[in-house]
Amino acid sequence: MPTKEEVLEKLKNGVIQYDEDACKEGANEAIAIGMDGNEAIFEGLVAGMEEVGRLFEAQEYFVPEILMCADALYAGLDILKPHCKQMDLGVKGAVVIGTVEGDVHDIGKNLVKMMFDVAGFTVYDLGRDVPLDQFVEEQLRTDSELVCLSAMMTTSMIGMPKVIEKIKARNPNVMIMIGGAPTSKELADKWGADGYAEDASNALKEAIKMVSFLKNLRAEKEAEKKG
Amino acid sequence: MLLQGATLVGVGDVTQALTSEIIHLNRAIAIAMNRGLGEDTSSKLIRLQSVAEGWLKERGFRYLSIPPDSDRRKGKFISRLYKLFPHKTAATCSGLGWVGKNGLVINRDYGSKLSWATVLTNAPLVADLPTEKSQCGNCNLCVIHCPSGAVTGREWSINEPYREIVKYEKCSTMKKSRRLLEDRPNCGLCINICPYSRNGKTVKT
Ligand code: B12
Repeated sequence: MPTKEEVLEKLKNGVIQYDEDACKEGANEAIAIGMDGNEAIFEGLVAGMEEVGRLFEAQEYFVPEILMCADALYAGLDILKPHCKQMDLGVKGAVVIGTVEGDVHDIGKNLVKMMFDVAGFTVYDLGRDVPLDQFVEEQLRTDSELVCLSAMMTTSMIGMPKVIEKIKARNPNVMIMIGGAPTSKELADKWGADGYAEDASNALKEAIKMVSFLKNLRAEKEAEKKG
Repeated sequence: MLLQGATLVGVGDVTQALTSEIIHLNRAIAIAMNRGLGEDTSSKLIRLQSVAEGWLKERGFRYLSIPPDSDRRKGKFISRLYKLFPHKTAATCSGLGWVGKNGLVINRDYGSKLSWATVLTNAPLVADLPTEKSQCGNCNLCVIHCPSGAVTGREWSINEPYREIVKYEKCSTMKKSRRLLEDRPNCGLCINICPYSRNGKTVKT
């Protein structure tokens, strides 16, 4: 039996070396030794993708390598996903999520989505390169408490304040969270978003805070009406 | 490099044919398998590709494999890059054939009966001489016999890679109407009529 460290190393290197077979093998080993899927994904596969990002910036890797790395990551992810422990954090909600128009980077968004799945949220995933108005429409259609916007480029993130403004105008009782590498807490505040998180597990924590806040708010209003 | 089991293998300098995403991969390894052998050529080609990948990776080179059935592979991220590079370019740049009047790669010995796979790489492999011009000459069998009239008879040259040689809409319209009537919509006439596909046997018209 391999140790936990060996498995994590294999998953990480599998992504960096764009080796789908290694990622599949590592994922199956992780399950065999009883590791939690989440840990294998974030400490293994995602850690590898972070290194890939550095290699890309150093111009060691180019687009074909990045794509093969992404395929390797997903090969492992597909196996590990069903083995993520379902968490019951007391709060559940509905969330609309997507990567904004002009942006096809969806690896990070998919990881955030996965955290919501694991926590038992209802997730409406609009995918990537999503026209801005579609976020507004989907929120109204589903009456979700939360809208999550992801962007990985400085050129695409400028769509975010437009979506935030539109959603707030139509429905002020919606919580909006943004994320993705070029965004920040400061930008979120400036654009009037209700939340920001730098990674997927913090995204879930923030979401839970926001949804509980919203639910309390609604309950208070109900009570006021009655009283 | 040994790629055992391939019908033909060639290396082409494809610098001229690359878009910015893959500009660093200026050598194409063209691998061809004779479909006439009746085996599962597609999976065999993919196996050969992974042998080449392993060889390149071990030596620290970059690569991009374009599988034989590239147009039917969608689910993966990497499949978005497949359309950036046609097998035909690999085949002609490595001197393994020209684009015939039938719009398909024609090889001197096997005609259009080959299936192709490509591995692009930055390994400085010695390139074969490219085929620069069509060798169809005066032969117009595929033009005459194409039931949909799609084959125009224009000749290919490496300097005009995007010239319209076959009117593909005509061919696919006919395929669609045939599919309603029979199980095998592919007519394949332009392959089978080609004297090169018949191992040089000449046909009378
Ligand atoms: C993988 C990748 C690609 C892949 C994308 C595959 C895919 N389906 O996602 C491909 C090859 C397609 C690609 C294409 C391009 N890319 Co690119 N790509 C990257 C790369 C290397 C890694 C991104 C990644 O997946 N990281 C791993 C994930 C796990 O991290 P993450 O996305 O940050 O997500 C985490 C957090 O941000 C957060 N999070 C994410 N979303 C959200 C949402 C919410 C609500 C919350 C709360 C949190 C949250 O949680 C996640 C998990 O913890 C980055 C470089 C880098 N260092 O980041 C460049 C990068 C993003 N790309 C860049 C560019 C320029 C491009 C291209 C224009 C072309 C090019 N020449 O590379 C095209 C763009 C096409 C388009 N229109 O979108 C630039 C962007 C620069 C800028 N303008 O800001 C970067 C930064 C590289 C660089 N330094 O130049 N790319």
